[in-house]
Amino acid sequence: MSEMSREDLLNVVRTIWTERDPVPDGLVARMQAAAAMAGSDLDVELMLLVERSTELVGARGSATTSYTLRFVHGDTDLLLRIAADGGESRVDGWIVPPEPMTVRAIPADGNPYAAVVSETGRFELTGLPTGLMRLRLEPHDPDRPAFATPTFEI
Amino acid sequence: MTSIHTKVGSGMWRNATGDADDTRRRDEVARPGEVWAQATAAFNQWVAGDPLGLDELVRVMTPVLWHVVRAYRLEPDAAEDVIQTTWLAMVRKSSSILEPAAVGGWLTTTARREAWRVAGAAARATPVEDEELAVHVPSQRSAESSAVEQDENNRLWAAVDALPGRCRRLLRIVAFEDRPDYASLASDLDMPIGSIGPTRGRCLAKLRVALMQAVPEGDR
Repeated sequence: MSEMSREDLLNVVRTIWTERDPVPDGLVARMQAAAAMAGSDLDVELMLLVERSTELVGARGSATTSYTLRFVHGDTDLLLRIAADGGESRVDGWIVPPEPMTVRAIPADGNPYAAVVSETGRFELTGLPTGLMRLRLEPHDPDRPAFATPTFEI
Repeated sequence: MTSIHTKVGSGMWRNATGDADDTRRRDEVARPGEVWAQATAAFNQWVAGDPLGLDELVRVMTPVLWHVVRAYRLEPDAAEDVIQTTWLAMVRKSSSILEPAAVGGWLTTTARREAWRVAGAAARATPVEDEELAVHVPSQRSAESSAVEQDENNRLWAAVDALPGRCRRLLRIVAFEDRPDYASLASDLDMPIGSIGPTRGRCLAKLRVALMQAVPEGDR
């Protein structure tokens, strides 16, 4: 007699409860509507690019290119120093005034990367791909809506 | 004392519509690992700016939340409120989800916390016995399925019913969650943290024995 594995047993439990106490009809649709409504209150506003500078950094003979971007949104200033080396890039950011936030780097293709802003307003995102990218800033204060940079190219 | 029984039975089939829901019901038996991976992909799609990602996330995770929340012996309306609270919290506090792979765990943990809070308040008002949820609730699918399947289901259900209430609840949560966090499970189920693992093992062993007794070998 073959003994049922833990996974088999849990599968039986899932099957039984799915039969016996199924998800009410319409529940998924109601939850989608509620979530979408809450989400649409948080439509992401775009920051404005106000400054851009490019420099070639030849330190220690590396071929790293780097440049800085500055964005503003309301009272928030975002300064980015972007460095690309081969197929990888990193972003060092400063938020002024400092505010607890999660910053997500969203590549045009590929999964987002996330970082949390430090008390001094700094954050870093490393190991990013190159190419088109945008940052989404999500204040931890739930009353402050998220905002995002326009797409830029690394 | 038939109120719970009746409410579960009548609430289950409101707006019954048919085919689309049958498909969905089969979907929700997917293993938690697969569901969690779908949830992560949908979350990434959503934070990247595509509202369809949020739709998809709600679609794949709502059935999981239903089963986890119902394990707290909440009536259907209260369970739905808890699930809605969970979704609103996720939308408003997405900034606290740094690791997209953890979105499934974030949702179930949040839902369990809220279910525990609501169930605690409800229990003080109207105590509900475990056994009331254990009563056999006939489902529409059962009515449509063949007599053989029905018989098989009845025996499986009887095996699960024979478990102590705490086992039933713990196994239901563990079955629908992907590696649940033992610390929050322990406090939610009012058990010492060190006992969750051993209790789960004992409950699985009891279920294994009950199934062996309930289902003839050839049918397993």
